[in-house]
Amino acid sequence: MSKQAYMRVENIVKKFGPFTALNGVDLEVHAGEVHALLGDNGAGKSTLIKILSGVHEPTSGTIYIEGQPTAFRNPRDASAAGIGTVYQDLAINQLMSVTRNFFMGRELTSRFGSLRMNEMNQIAHDEMLKIGINFSDPTQAVGTMSGGQRQTLAIARAIYFGAKVLILDEPTSALGQKQQMEVLKTIKRVRARGDIAIIFITHNEIHSRLIADRYTFLALGEVIGSGTKAELEGEDIRRLMAGGAEIKDLEQELAAI
Amino acid sequence: MSERSESDRLQRESWLQRMLRRPEIGSFVVMIIIILALAFASNGKAFNALGLKNNIAIIAQLGIIAVGAALLMIAGEFDLSIGPMIAFAGMSIAIMMKWGLPFGLGEATPFLAFLITLCMTLAFGWLIGNIVVRSGLSSFIVTLAFWFFLRGLTEVCFRLINQNTNVSGLPDFKKESWFAEQMGGEVFGWFFDAWYWIGTKVSAGAEFTAEMTKSEKLDMINYLSFLNINRKMEQWVTGFDARLLWFIIIAGAAWYVLARTQLGSWIYATGDNKESARANGVPVNRVKIGLFMFSAFCATIFATCQVFDTNSSDAAKGMFKELEAIAIAVVGGILMTGGFGSIVGVIFGAVTFGLVANAVFFIPWIDGAWFRVFVGTVLLAAVFANERIRKRITGGI
Repeated sequence: MSKQAYMRVENIVKKFGPFTALNGVDLEVHAGEVHALLGDNGAGKSTLIKILSGVHEPTSGTIYIEGQPTAFRNPRDASAAGIGTVYQDLAINQLMSVTRNFFMGRELTSRFGSLRMNEMNQIAHDEMLKIGINFSDPTQAVGTMSGGQRQTLAIARAIYFGAKVLILDEPTSALGQKQQMEVLKTIKRVRARGDIAIIFITHNEIHSRLIADRYTFLALGEVIGSGTKAELEGEDIRRLMAGGAEIKDLEQELAAI
Repeated sequence: MSERSESDRLQRESWLQRMLRRPEIGSFVVMIIIILALAFASNGKAFNALGLKNNIAIIAQLGIIAVGAALLMIAGEFDLSIGPMIAFAGMSIAIMMKWGLPFGLGEATPFLAFLITLCMTLAFGWLIGNIVVRSGLSSFIVTLAFWFFLRGLTEVCFRLINQNTNVSGLPDFKKESWFAEQMGGEVFGWFFDAWYWIGTKVSAGAEFTAEMTKSEKLDMINYLSFLNINRKMEQWVTGFDARLLWFIIIAGAAWYVLARTQLGSWIYATGDNKESARANGVPVNRVKIGLFMFSAFCATIFATCQVFDTNSSDAAKGMFKELEAIAIAVVGGILMTGGFGSIVGVIFGAVTFGLVANAVFFIPWIDGAWFRVFVGTVLLAAVFANERIRKRITGGI
């Protein structure tokens, strides 16, 4: 690879007591690329992103940020290193306004501790507009927004607060068809900026094909396939998705019942 | 762009529509109804010079603790220990004023007694907060435990030190102590001075004469009472109870913090969804502990005003006050589940409750227990209304 990866993880192992959740996983993400992380339930996707975002410490293995080995002891460390994670529950408060959610925990205050509300409204509006949604009123409660809009809010927030690696945990899974497309569009817009690496975790093979540049497939805690879109052209992505099982076998099993 | 987007589905509303959707609107309407009903049923006596002073006194008293309870509820926690905290603080101050400072440190001044008491109540608030956030237990249970603990402790201290469960007949500290005057004295005298001045102009020439019949005299007294003039033709009422000033300060500060500061955002975030607030770096535990301490602070102010107003205290002070404070907060539009509400609504709630609690003094034929019937009814209605607001917001599209 000519270009240096922004973040690279090498041989990550994570054990919970006797249970090996990850058994030597490698992964690299480049700015301006979407890296799809695919795998069935229990493949270790969640554990991997929790390690990347500082929630868990790996049992062994190293995380390199711009070539430097880095250890995350807590989510704050990861955040400071430019890892922004958008979880499935989005870490959003429904009763609060868009602006208050956008700046939650990182409010802009004047010297006397009061909020610079107008400025915050403006920034929240502009940042969300940049990656795709125009909403009329930054003071509206998040509860009134659609699922896709909430995703966008969480993504815009992560970017605004300095994410260089954006980890999206199944951002399309709980949405309707049209909103899924909205979120994919948002991801493409972020990719087009060119300075942010995106890790896109999904179950959905079609979505990954639509936007991913690079793939990593996990099964039972190990990487069973990885590569760029071109490299994987001949492979059966669906086979890898199913954890290496042949779809034909599954069909036969189903038919046998 | 002519294409429809999702944002178009949220209607822009007119100013009036927005007002009607505010959480305070219910408590505002109830308040107006109560003011009108009370004015009518008492022949206006509830709002003559003395009536206003007495009503404002209890409104301010309830309002002070309701603001503390409301902030805590917005952050998603309850405090049932407000009432016992009032009794404890009252006991502590009264006993120090009677028996001197602890450990034989000499005579207590009102300010010193208040300061030492405040340290103790804040420490209790800190302890309650820490137990709640560290154990993850419901604050309902933890503060219920402190309800019993503090009630008992107050009575024990009274008996041990004073051999009696009350202190009464303390000298009037307001005369010599500026601090005692600020807590238990009168404020905004200019308001009643101006009222009296206008009254003398309006009533010019009116006086009691020998040939007046009894009912004519009563009419005359009633007439003068609205002009802040007593039956000797002197100024009748000279000022509001000092607790009004404290209510204004506390409610104003709470409003400002909630609406305009980072801490306010953190309070809402903590009550709405603790986990997501934490994930975004809000110091959830410190917010909660701080608010338990603020609630204890409000209870202490309540007690201090009471002690220096009446120059007495007893173990039964603050009875049911925690429940009234929570009820006022709920009627004011604070959600039981936290994350939503405003101080303006709480002020409306305090006005409503204060007026109804006092109604028995102005409407002689009413039974005072109707107060609780009213509270129960309004509380239930308010909870339903709040629940609708919450669903409307979180139901979303």
